Amino acid sequence: MATPGTVRGPAHHEEIDWERAARSPEFQELEGSRRSFVLPATIFFFCWYFGFIILAGYAPSFMGESIYEGFTVGYLFALTQFVMVWVLAGLYLRRANRVFDPLVRRVVEKTPGAAGYATDGAGTSPTDGPSTPRTGDGRPGDREVTS
Amino acid sequence: MTVPLAEVNVEALSIFAVIVAITLAITYWASQRTKDAATFWAAGRGITGAQNGFAIAGDYMSAASFLGIAGLIFLFGFDGFLYSVGFLVAFLVVLFLLAERMRNSGKFTMADVLSFRLNERPARTAAALGTLVVAGFYLIAQMVGAGALINALVGINFSLAVIATGAFMLIYVVFGGMLATTWVQIIKAILLMSATIVLSIFVLGKIGWNPIDLFNRAEAQSDDGHAYLEPGLRFDNPIDTISLGLGLVLGTAGLPHILMRFFTVPDAKAARTSVVWAVGLIGAFYVMTTFLGFGARAILGEAGATGGVDEAGNLAAPLLAQEVGGGDGTIGGDAFLAIIAAVAFATILAVVAGLVISASGAVAHDVWSNVIRKGRDSEHEEVYVARIAALSIGAIAIAIAVAGGSDLNVSYMVGLAFAVAASANFPALLLALTWKRFNTTGAVTGVLCGVISSVGLVLVGPDVRSDPLIELTQPGIISIPIGFLGCILGTLLSKEEAKAERQFEELHVRSETGIGAERPLEGAGLAPRPRRPRPEVPAGTGVAPTR
Repeated sequence: MATPGTVRGPAHHEEIDWERAARSPEFQELEGSRRSFVLPATIFFFCWYFGFIILAGYAPSFMGESIYEGFTVGYLFALTQFVMVWVLAGLYLRRANRVFDPLVRRVVEKTPGAAGYATDGAGTSPTDGPSTPRTGDGRPGDREVTS
Repeated sequence: MTVPLAEVNVEALSIFAVIVAITLAITYWASQRTKDAATFWAAGRGITGAQNGFAIAGDYMSAASFLGIAGLIFLFGFDGFLYSVGFLVAFLVVLFLLAERMRNSGKFTMADVLSFRLNERPARTAAALGTLVVAGFYLIAQMVGAGALINALVGINFSLAVIATGAFMLIYVVFGGMLATTWVQIIKAILLMSATIVLSIFVLGKIGWNPIDLFNRAEAQSDDGHAYLEPGLRFDNPIDTISLGLGLVLGTAGLPHILMRFFTVPDAKAARTSVVWAVGLIGAFYVMTTFLGFGARAILGEAGATGGVDEAGNLAAPLLAQEVGGGDGTIGGDAFLAIIAAVAFATILAVVAGLVISASGAVAHDVWSNVIRKGRDSEHEEVYVARIAALSIGAIAIAIAVAGGSDLNVSYMVGLAFAVAASANFPALLLALTWKRFNTTGAVTGVLCGVISSVGLVLVGPDVRSDPLIELTQPGIISIPIGFLGCILGTLLSKEEAKAERQFEELHVRSETGIGAERPLEGAGLAPRPRRPRPEVPAGTGVAPTR
């Protein structure tokens, strides 16, 4: 390859106009839609988790108070962390499947040279995509042993 | 209640033998299919989302989680449970910020993503350094832990236990690559979950099926009284508590062996699904550490601490199993102890195999193929070097563990691995994916600052020095900001890098959409996947395929 930056890492695709794809309204919408979920969700879990950790550090006796027959505030707060993770992961999965994936598909459709790269979970068959080699980057000697 | 220190536990050894036989058969099957680099490091990208979810759980939940957290809760009560919470919450960072982007952008290693738009050699070298430091500390801690545990549980000599663990780990990785490693991790996750569920049910039965009673009994059995249910027994410095939380939550997103798992699935959607599976499994496991840890305290009491449980509390869970199974000397008690010992062994094997394959990627794919040979080697050579690298890394880890012996202080090493991952790997990866101006100098200074600050803080801290220069056991709260600052200042104080900014758009669009992502190999995976008929679209026409 011409540039040393592409030798054996992930193959670069010069044939695709990335600048244009990045500026396209479809991609902008995808990014905006993703950000509108991920940003508030991340801020929320950071606050909820570090609220828990900071209370554990600075208010041990409050965390040790019994709510019900020895079941403590701290332990309840800890259990809410588990529920939070499961709920947020579930919400993200649903949002991604219903909203992000169709948006990704639209970006793929609108980007010349990108057909066959849609996320469908079953794996895109290596034979039905564009003219991209499936492993390596087609350097001579990539498959056969030359030495 | 004594641990069978002298005599060899035949029951446990027989279960070991069954597990080893199954995993070796899988390794043979995998070795027949491992001919190319994409199979060696990424299992041909044919692992399904659910399979990868189990494998992530198997890769992540080390003996430090299984036996270590049970022991920490047994010893320190509530503070031990802080680990359980942090280890799980961390996966939200992975899910929201990295899993899909890693799958879309990378090929075999974390360094692939970091160096995608930066200068290949310096960026790759930095990422390989971050990978090797994390994997190195983690691996040595696991190997020493393996030796000590197998010694205590099964009665095999420490050095022999380390060598046997290392030998199996190397057989899986060298012959079976990622395919064998993945299936070892899946089996381990199933074994670990089953054993933990059964043990939890036994514990609940023993205390009369009232989970709240567990806390009261544990409190009554602890010399610390009510303080046992409050935070502060392990960390008397609140800054340490916060620092630990930060290190755990951001560290997971920088663990090379976890990130590498996302390259084994066909696409970003499967990567996402796999994290959700992993979150379900890992969360369920960490909730159950309540029954293991508080249960051990409630049922074994202080007698457990003075009788058999060692300083780190690692034997709390196995001794608990022995007790709820019927007690020392009974058939049920001994059988349950043997099962837990075998599960602990499988747990260690799965984690060390994952660590070695990620380290071999850093040495062979990153340093050898791309930095030293500049891509002029053949794929055949890359896989050959990967096997030699895995052998060498494994041999070094075995040698250090045997030379250090069971007295080697490894208690801080897993925490340190998380701190380095959070301070060196995570900032550089995140900024490479999201910040256009980010450049090679920033990546290199960021990784170096993260590694040096976290390792340095631990070296001068109370875990290593008897006269510590700083009263902080967890470096994260200082070293993570230093890692980010290193990335940001390194970038802003150096010249703008035209190529890095131009190729940012490619990485940006690729990481978010999967356009240009590495494809799965044909025929990878276990069963043939149903293939949807798709109309042929000539490349470059931009015509939408109808679905």
